[in-house]
Amino acid sequence: MSATALPSTGAVSSAQLESFSYDDAVVRKFLWATFIWGLVGMLVGLIVALQLANPIFNTSLEWLSFGRLRPLHTNAVIFAFAGNAFFCGAYYSTQRLLKARMYSDFLSSFHFWGWQAIIVAAALTLPLGFTQAKEYAELEWPIDIAIAVVWVAFGVNFVGTMIKRRERHLYVALWFYIASIVTVAILHIFNNLSIPAGLFKSYSIYAGVQDAFMQWWYGHNAVAFFLTTPFLGLMYYFMPKAADGPVFSYKLSILHFWSLVFLYIWAGPHHLHYTALPEWASTVGMLFSVMLWAPSWGGMINGLLTLRGAWHKVAEDPILKFFVVAITAYGMSTFEGPLLSIKSVNALAHYTDWIIAHVHTGALGWNGFLTFGMVYWLLPRLFQTPVYSKRLMELHFWIASFGILLYVVAIYSAGVTQGLMWRAFDVTGRLAYPDFVETVVRLLPMYWLRVVGGSMYIVGMLLFGWNIFMTWRRRPATYVVPVITAPALEKKYIPEPEYGGAPAPVGLWGRFASATWHRKWERMPITFTVLTVIAVVVASLFEILPTFLIKSNVPTIASVKPYTPLELAGRDMYIAEGCFNCHSQMIRPFRHETERFGEYSKPGESVYEHPFLWGSRRIGPDLARIGGKYPHLWHVRHFEEPTSITARSIMPAYPHFLTKTINFEQIQSRVDAMAMLGVPYGDAVNSAPAMARAQAAEIAAEIERQGGPSGLSDKQIVAMVAYMQRLGMDLRTPASTVGMTQ
Amino acid sequence: MKLSDIMGNANLSFYAEVAMVIFLIVFLTVAVRLFLPSRQKELEEASRLPLEDDASYAAVPRKD
Repeated sequence: MSATALPSTGAVSSAQLESFSYDDAVVRKFLWATFIWGLVGMLVGLIVALQLANPIFNTSLEWLSFGRLRPLHTNAVIFAFAGNAFFCGAYYSTQRLLKARMYSDFLSSFHFWGWQAIIVAAALTLPLGFTQAKEYAELEWPIDIAIAVVWVAFGVNFVGTMIKRRERHLYVALWFYIASIVTVAILHIFNNLSIPAGLFKSYSIYAGVQDAFMQWWYGHNAVAFFLTTPFLGLMYYFMPKAADGPVFSYKLSILHFWSLVFLYIWAGPHHLHYTALPEWASTVGMLFSVMLWAPSWGGMINGLLTLRGAWHKVAEDPILKFFVVAITAYGMSTFEGPLLSIKSVNALAHYTDWIIAHVHTGALGWNGFLTFGMVYWLLPRLFQTPVYSKRLMELHFWIASFGILLYVVAIYSAGVTQGLMWRAFDVTGRLAYPDFVETVVRLLPMYWLRVVGGSMYIVGMLLFGWNIFMTWRRRPATYVVPVITAPALEKKYIPEPEYGGAPAPVGLWGRFASATWHRKWERMPITFTVLTVIAVVVASLFEILPTFLIKSNVPTIASVKPYTPLELAGRDMYIAEGCFNCHSQMIRPFRHETERFGEYSKPGESVYEHPFLWGSRRIGPDLARIGGKYPHLWHVRHFEEPTSITARSIMPAYPHFLTKTINFEQIQSRVDAMAMLGVPYGDAVNSAPAMARAQAAEIAAEIERQGGPSGLSDKQIVAMVAYMQRLGMDLRTPASTVGMTQ
Repeated sequence: MKLSDIMGNANLSFYAEVAMVIFLIVFLTVAVRLFLPSRQKELEEASRLPLEDDASYAAVPRKD
């Protein structure tokens, strides 16, 4: 049993047989990490769900308020849970598909421990308020560098394994892995380019429209190349395994791959419909998103039909049940994605819970269930003992399925409800629900239903963990490490006689049709990788560069000036608290929006916004024109205790703003970093602290005049008030009296 | 004159159309090649790759 020779599958039977074994130890580590971080990420999800249902769950600890925990939830489930699941399946399948041990055990181990260290760093820094304010790219620059290093180690290890492989053909799952690895590297590096302004503070080098464009080019492709293509690779490997038959159509899987590579990268702008993004970009994003319908459903059908002749097994095999629901969820969320990218649908859905329901269909159904099915399939193979309990697997499946159903039904209705309430007018032509909070409290019953659905999913997760733990406990004293033998690949390509046994191809077409060149080319995984990169990069450049290089895309507005040093400090607090998770600063050009929030937002207004803070969800009202709407004291009271102003508000309270002092000296480094990015700060590059102190004293005096508390001139609240009162003012005030003098 | 002015006046949109046509041709080439009769045997064999690789675990008892 300990040494099993595989039959030679290559053509070169004369070549020397090599012996090797697979590294399953690292796969087992990733499996544990998948479960542990999955549970952590989902528990944080439960906390934020409770915070939305009742603000009391924000507690009085500033580190645990919704704005700081929500990014922790998204990062944990995407990069920690789904990430480790991908690595687990990829390390298992890659070695077997290539008939080679991973290139370097050191790199495998470095990848594992490096990734876990990054997750821990994220779990510590996000609650502390260190964030770049870009969704799914919140982590600050030192951690971003660590991610790049670990990711490159993974990539080198992967490519190294491909180079020393013993199987000529690269199975399609590996193509999906390659595309994911290279594209994620590109996305991560370009979206996170920033100028540090301290150890855990940086400003994106892009501003406003450009930053939004980069962010959603990244954000959408994080979904595409972190949650979709890696898991499709896993599907194309583990689904045939579980169904015990090859994929329905290998040709379809190849078409699926190339269509996704060519189309996905363009789709990002659909996250910015009706914003200040140029309309042509928005339309391109929509068209490519709609085109994605075809390959996505092709892939779904391909996955499901892999069960041909094995449907009867689904009834008794929980692993197949997980896979069937996962692939169905892939089909549903990729049906819905293009639908949501259509501008008129997006007009209703954007900023609402509809998007949250959409991602949870994908995350809980597709990523979660594919992971569960895969891990259950791996358990007996990795721990070399039967799975502890098949009944627990069944129970996990049913309880998690109903959990998903409850979650998404509740949140879909919440999304549609709020979207319709925002745009409702009464017979006199006025907003039917002028008070924003009315559109929020209406959702609370649905938020409680989500808590129930999410909890069921977590109960399933606990059953999952129990099953893993008990299976692990029954493992043998020492794992059997089979020794595999396979012939090495020849260094030089030799045309294989068995392909048709036909005479040597003649002429240009003959050589093309015989596809000899492709087999040659396939032996050079680096070339293949480079060509995939070209497809991705060229598409990105054509879409993104015009907004940087063509002036007409972002018309400037003379009265728009940089923030004062104090306002900048307030803005940094807004970022640290994660206010952008609930408040947009982007009014769309719809009557119901301009009635409610004021004049729609212009591209030229955010030219100094490093990073952009347009937001993607309105749990609270838009703040783009909040400046001057209320007196200073209103903001002081509102931050101290939101319910004292709006009785039914679900906003967390920020009483510590009134007690914590501003670090005035630190503002200089922030202003300097902004100036380095080309923001015209004039005198402030030399005297930011003094300017901030002067403005703070003015605001504190005004608060006192309005009957508020005294002695606030060095407290954080004045910076926050300064920022709030500035928002949207540039368009209302003559150029000479606003902001910085130059 | 800034770079954005130069780029704005250069009328580069033509290149985007050329790129789109190239992309389309590449994609169609991939698609057509897939259905060439000479490749069918290779693809058929490739689709079986996941099923060939863990004969070594056959001795491990499976409950499911």
